[in-house]
Amino acid sequence: MLVVRDLRVTFSRDGKSGVRAVDGVSFELARGGALGVIGETGAGKTTLARALLGLHPPECVQGSVRLDGRELAGLSEEEWRAVRWRRIALVVQSVGTALDPVYRVGEQIGEPMRFHLGLSPAEAWARAEELARRVGLEPRHLCAYPHQLSGGEKQRALLAMALGCNPEVLVLDEPTSGQDMLSRVRLLDLLADLRRERGTALLVVSHDLGAVARLTEEVAVLYAGKLVEVGPTEAVFGDPRHPYTWGLLHSYPDMDTARDLRSIRGLPPDPAHPPAGCRFHPRCTQAVEKCRHEEPPLVEVAGRQVACHLGGLQTLLRAESLRKVFFVDNGGPRSPLEAVRGVSLEIREGEVVALVGETGSGKTTLGRMLVGLLSPDGGRVVLEGRDLTAAQGEKWRWLSRRVQLIPQDPFDAVSPRMTVDQVVREPLDIQKVGAPPEREEKVRQVLKAVGLPTDPVFLSLHAHELSGGQLQRVVIARALVLEPKLLIADEPVAMLDPSEQARVMNLLKEIQVERGLAMLLISHDLALVRKVADRILVMHQGRIVEEGPGSRVVTRPIHEHTRALLESAPRIGVFTAEDAEETEF
Amino acid sequence: MRRLPAEMAFGLGILALFGAVALLAPVVAPYDPHAFSGQPLERPSRAHPLGTNDVGHDILSELLYGARVSLTVALAAGAGTVLLGTLVGGAAGYAGGWVDRVLMRLVDGMMSLPRLPLIILLIAFLGAGLPQTILVIALLFWPTTARVIRAQVQSVRTRGYVRMARLFGGGPAYVFLRHILPAIGTLVAHGLVVSAGTAVAIEAGLAFLGLGDPTAKSWGLMVRFALNLPGLFLTDRWLWWALPPALCITLLVLALTFLGIGLERRLNPRLNRRWQ
Amino acid sequence: MNRVFQGFVGRVFSYLFSLWVILTLNFLLPRLMPGDPLAALLDPASSDYVFDPEVRAALEAYYGLDRPLLEQYARYLVGIFTGDLGRSIRLSRPVGELVASRLPWTLLLVGTALLLSSALALVAGTEAGWRRGSRTDRALVAVHLLLANVPVYLTGMLFIHLFGARLGWLPMAGGRTPFARYETLLAAALDIGRHLVLPALTLTLGMLGVKFLLVRNTMVTVLGEDFMLVARAKGLPEGRLKWGHGLRNAVLPFVAHLAAHAGMAITGAVFIETLFNYPGMGRLIFESVTARDYPVIQGVFLVVSAVVLTANLAADLLNARLDPRVLEG
Repeated sequence: MLVVRDLRVTFSRDGKSGVRAVDGVSFELARGGALGVIGETGAGKTTLARALLGLHPPECVQGSVRLDGRELAGLSEEEWRAVRWRRIALVVQSVGTALDPVYRVGEQIGEPMRFHLGLSPAEAWARAEELARRVGLEPRHLCAYPHQLSGGEKQRALLAMALGCNPEVLVLDEPTSGQDMLSRVRLLDLLADLRRERGTALLVVSHDLGAVARLTEEVAVLYAGKLVEVGPTEAVFGDPRHPYTWGLLHSYPDMDTARDLRSIRGLPPDPAHPPAGCRFHPRCTQAVEKCRHEEPPLVEVAGRQVACHLGGLQTLLRAESLRKVFFVDNGGPRSPLEAVRGVSLEIREGEVVALVGETGSGKTTLGRMLVGLLSPDGGRVVLEGRDLTAAQGEKWRWLSRRVQLIPQDPFDAVSPRMTVDQVVREPLDIQKVGAPPEREEKVRQVLKAVGLPTDPVFLSLHAHELSGGQLQRVVIARALVLEPKLLIADEPVAMLDPSEQARVMNLLKEIQVERGLAMLLISHDLALVRKVADRILVMHQGRIVEEGPGSRVVTRPIHEHTRALLESAPRIGVFTAEDAEETEF
Repeated sequence: MRRLPAEMAFGLGILALFGAVALLAPVVAPYDPHAFSGQPLERPSRAHPLGTNDVGHDILSELLYGARVSLTVALAAGAGTVLLGTLVGGAAGYAGGWVDRVLMRLVDGMMSLPRLPLIILLIAFLGAGLPQTILVIALLFWPTTARVIRAQVQSVRTRGYVRMARLFGGGPAYVFLRHILPAIGTLVAHGLVVSAGTAVAIEAGLAFLGLGDPTAKSWGLMVRFALNLPGLFLTDRWLWWALPPALCITLLVLALTFLGIGLERRLNPRLNRRWQ
Repeated sequence: MNRVFQGFVGRVFSYLFSLWVILTLNFLLPRLMPGDPLAALLDPASSDYVFDPEVRAALEAYYGLDRPLLEQYARYLVGIFTGDLGRSIRLSRPVGELVASRLPWTLLLVGTALLLSSALALVAGTEAGWRRGSRTDRALVAVHLLLANVPVYLTGMLFIHLFGARLGWLPMAGGRTPFARYETLLAAALDIGRHLVLPALTLTLGMLGVKFLLVRNTMVTVLGEDFMLVARAKGLPEGRLKWGHGLRNAVLPFVAHLAAHAGMAITGAVFIETLFNYPGMGRLIFESVTARDYPVIQGVFLVVSAVVLTANLAADLLNARLDPRVLEG
């Protein structure tokens, strides 16, 4: 019914360069359907919502908005007037200031009915009372002035006002913002009921993913004015394919605070100067050269549309039925010990996966097979589509540039005879990357990145002259110096004292986000990994017994072994950055 | 360096012009304004570009010297008003509590008084004179400034950085000088300009009503003397006698207003933006 | 409702308080002034000595300077409330009588100008604000900025010259034709009206600038409010948006400033009445100031202050009716 094609809204700032707030957006909304538009603050959601009612100056809007086949774009203010509220109504975001302070609420609810339907003031008031009752307001609320109502009551009044002329499309701009959890739930129930009763199509523009999930069947993800993923809500939310959607969904609990997204590096672009090519590429962990120059079109991927040159989120590393058997020689006949019994796993671009299990569960063995230090007795490892089984020569060198290991014991991992400089430079020397001065520079950069000094004195220190924390940072620096895509960290902080543990863990998480790495975090400490992991795999006796999103595994574990692990976890959690942020409120 | 906005340039230009005239009056004026340099009521001529007044003073010279009076009043009364206003407003805003309530009650009360009748009453009893005029203007017009300053001080006082400065051990004097004064600087400048404009208009008005300093020949006084001539408007005489001083007053007030608008834009950049 | 009532009582109380301050100020000022201007009236050695013995006796009785201050104050207050404002030195007439004969003229002049300038400012200000940034808006703002800064006597002089002296269309001075006897009420009204045109027009222009800028700037702010966006989204007709929502909100600060504007109008009236020789209170002030006729100056001050304060209260109460938020604070 409502068909939007290639909609562009450009604002000129001081008559200078245009800011394209909405750039080539297309979607369709069926009669009685419900579409959600999600994205960060500043993505252009509100601009899009307002464009559907023709509220921008006509010279700013290009493209096509059709309602039942009739072109709305380019209508005069007078013609728009007939469309507004009768056919498309809007509930604005700024609930507190959206009602005229000098009129009674009832008058304002009735006002559009008087002008559009020709009702008398008395009739309009009567209708307003009906509507108010439907949305849960009492007649006394109608006699009140806006400043006498609470935020929730104003929200309901705005909703009643929007329903006045029984519009076919209801545009809701951040309907749940600024509401407490209880009123939010009630409002969502009410909206769902109203939609069912009246057959009103909903367009929900929000960063409240929960609300969008509850209200809509289709969802469109907006990034810097462009749609990056469009598809059935369930599919998109359950299995996001665009890297941005994936990041957005993983940072959902932080959404309301509009903070920098936890799982997406960088910041949204300045709308006046969007990056060339794919707008998300500076923040994308899997961007390739093409992404920098060419804008990706929306194409069909897995039952939805995704705008990504790589066809959406890439699997970085895939393990298929990996097996490893050790033969243990304990005096008698050599008995086979199956350390890893057919493990399959996937690590996607930019993802932090935690592999949790007790000592002896086979997790370290699995980790070594993934980096190629051990060859599996069965199954295979595929990195970026290349089979790594028994990698040698060139393939091996390529592999070690893509995947790096951070081992548990830094003292064991660093030669006592080498200086810091030599340790960190070693991979570059081995891979023959760049000329010596470039290598020096790289060493300095990574040391800075892990928060270590770069003066000549420090560079000439040996392992035994460093603390455990410093040495582990040196090891991390060494792992980063080849700019890998995947870090496999095997109990990276187990040898450190607790305060140092938290610092190094935060450092790893920061580096992972900033450099757009994927990370497999191998640990026995569930309390520690839940702070950073997007997904948790629980390993027990050589098998993966449970797998799921970090929050789910910790709060609602399925396998009894997971429960056992949880119960044994220390009650005093490790202090991390996230805790600090939470205590601010 | 940003380009000076047009209104600021205009205001500053006119002010500079009047300032130069006031300073150089003895040099540029053809006669002593108190000298009987011609016959009474001469029409404009080469010797007297704006003619002479009813007692034979050169009008152009009177006009040039008049700038001194107006600018003196503007500066002195403006400064007095702003000083009083800043002190009271700053004290109210900074101290808060009952001090604030008492001072603001006073401000409200003073703002509801009809000012011109009160000024007339005061001057009538105090006697006409430039110092009295300046004093009365300062005493009656400070509440406007006080109100603005108080609001600003209040909002600055509750800012985090001021609270932090106190936590670090900064005393009231430190906080006031380091944090509050810079925050009200532009406001004070704006207040000064606006008060100066008001003062110029009031002084001229008082002189016009015969309440000006009879010894200080101001523009208002010139208009007054011209109007005293019966049948002034029946001839063209008012064009070179009453009109030029009236125009000078207008121009000076306008210049100060424009300067004020410019400062206000700087205070509130929102005014610059055009809304869609 | 209770809070509204409390707000109302508060307003009236503060009005009465201001009135008391004015009365007391009027009493104390002459008595506290250096040089004792009142005593000078009765001192044969001073230049201000009143020679008429009858007037001198009346002054002595009115001010009663030889009595204790509190008794003087009590007598003064009783005098005020019985309508005794003293006696003019210059005209040997009770001040109350003088004021009563002059007040209607000023009210006519000020009232006409206030109404006219308000109506013009509301219409022009709303239109300019609605078309903010357009050529019309910019031209209107420039004109009114100029108007707001031109002294009324300059405008008045131009009008007198142009319409009075040059064209001879309208009388240049006075409130009515001297010594005229009117056959009908209409003739009287016409004559008074003809004399009113120039002073009223001058005063209207004198107030228009400030009022216009206030309406226009408020309008621009109001149009940026969210509820205006909602009103537009509701598909309301332009007239309803502009007047029903825009002006309806922009009028609130306008009303709040009405009292201040009334004060301004009276200030303007003083100059205009002086310039046009109009027989109102302003002219009376001017005449008494020239003659140092203290009782009249004081009487006029009291009456004008009372009028302005009452206008203040009226505007406050009107604003409370127009804006539901006001009295509830």
